[in-house]
Amino acid sequence: MASELGKRYECPSCGGQLLVVAAGTGQVLCCGVEVDVLQPKKLPSSD
Amino acid sequence: MDLSLILGMAADGFPDRVAIGSSDSGLTFAALHARVERLAAALPAGRPVVYVGPHGEHAATLLFAASAAGSPFAPVNGRLPREQVVELVRRLDPALVVCTPDLETALNSTAPVVITTARLDDLEHVDVPASEPSDVAVLLYTSGTTAAPKAAVLTHENLLAYVMETLDFGSAGDDECLLLAVPPFHVAGIAAVLSNAYLGRRVVALPAFDPTAWLQAVRDQSVTHAFVVPTMLARIVAALRDNPTLAGQSLRTLSYGGARTPGPVLEEALALFPDVQFVNAYGLTETSSTIAVLGPEDHRPDPTDPVAVGRLASVGQVVSSVEVDIIDEAGRPVSTGRSGRVRMRGAQVGGSYLGTGSTLDREGWLVTGDLGHLDDDGYLFLEGRADDVVIRGGENISAAEVEDALLRCDGVAQAAVVGVPDEEWGERLAAAVVARDGVSLEPDALRARVRELLGSLKTPDQVVLREDLPLTATGKVLKRVLRDELVASLQPTT
Repeated sequence: MASELGKRYECPSCGGQLLVVAAGTGQVLCCGVEVDVLQPKKLPSSD
Repeated sequence: MDLSLILGMAADGFPDRVAIGSSDSGLTFAALHARVERLAAALPAGRPVVYVGPHGEHAATLLFAASAAGSPFAPVNGRLPREQVVELVRRLDPALVVCTPDLETALNSTAPVVITTARLDDLEHVDVPASEPSDVAVLLYTSGTTAAPKAAVLTHENLLAYVMETLDFGSAGDDECLLLAVPPFHVAGIAAVLSNAYLGRRVVALPAFDPTAWLQAVRDQSVTHAFVVPTMLARIVAALRDNPTLAGQSLRTLSYGGARTPGPVLEEALALFPDVQFVNAYGLTETSSTIAVLGPEDHRPDPTDPVAVGRLASVGQVVSSVEVDIIDEAGRPVSTGRSGRVRMRGAQVGGSYLGTGSTLDREGWLVTGDLGHLDDDGYLFLEGRADDVVIRGGENISAAEVEDALLRCDGVAQAAVVGVPDEEWGERLAAAVVARDGVSLEPDALRARVRELLGSLKTPDQVVLREDLPLTATGKVLKRVLRDELVASLQPTT
């Protein structure tokens, strides 16, 4: 799974979170397993 | 990681979108990024970069360039008295000062290099030795309503936590535009530049606030989002009351915050903008801006639901990345519904000041000067500043409650209440009131009306009619100045 700019991921093993700051084609792994995409939180925009 | 990462991501993700300026001639994210990289190469690391001027392209460019260079960005209010501007700039010990042409002479001796905004793009090298890159991103003077201003320190980590924990990258539609009306030396002015770049939303800056100019800009620039401080909201409401045709159709979200918003102003604003989503943002300079949000649904509650209606007086729910609780005078957390001091902790909470270090306690809490309580669903209600309580004859009276009552009186535009020394009561309540244009007010009639609303204990002992109130640049009443002025006028020395 390619990594998309600005997407957030969470490691199912350690709970660590990742933010993609430069897009790429590789797989994102943490603790040896593929990380899960985090759904963005819906917050009203305050600025 | 530094703040320029946000601009780098935006330039990568949406290079051709306009970052700042009008949709046909503004600066794109790619162009802003290129300008920032060029300027960052000219700046020495580790020494503050001061900016004294209006918000807009120059402020945004310097914020990102200073960050990329490893230098703190320090915007200062140029509208203060000259000696005070010079003093505030000197205290920062900057390497570079960028200012508007009218301030160049006054600021000339405050830093090794002082230039005007017109020469910013030609800057090739600042001749000051670089030091270690700083993890301080921004230095912001607090508003100093009750004490002298101090420079709050926000790190890259604090501000990035705020942006990245609360926003979804690139989620703005390409037709969205934010009208920036707060100055760069206000934390909301910094947060707006960072947040909107991260969202991919165009920003248009209003160099000086005026309600008619603000409404005009909304129409001309097809503005969809805006943030204002409460005094701006009150003036926009007054302008629309006089001329409803000034309202634009493009506005979708109107956020407000930065100080307590009087209930009557908000109620009228909701009626004047029936289709706009209102958002109240509560935060401090020290918390990298917003930590609690009252959302659009909360602003238009079911009128038959008293709990929902009551929440309109709250500042909403705390964002998930920050913890807030309420403590008593001994520092112990109190139960839900009980009042006390508001404290908070989390990655976006700074709490350090230049020259004094961190004020956080051992567990990382920032104890604020705000009084409030939380309800069962985590809505935060503020009850005024701990130091904005008048103690009259042993009774604690919240100045904010009396101010709200005065604002409910016909013809009152602004009101501020302070305690002044009194031999019998310890302190007595003094109110300063500004009338709406063309209205003449009677102090005794105002006192009678407040007595009806709040009872005699909370009725001001004196009401003084004034042309204006002493305000900070972002519209907070300077109570320490007002108190001194009222004491001088009410108790002439013999």
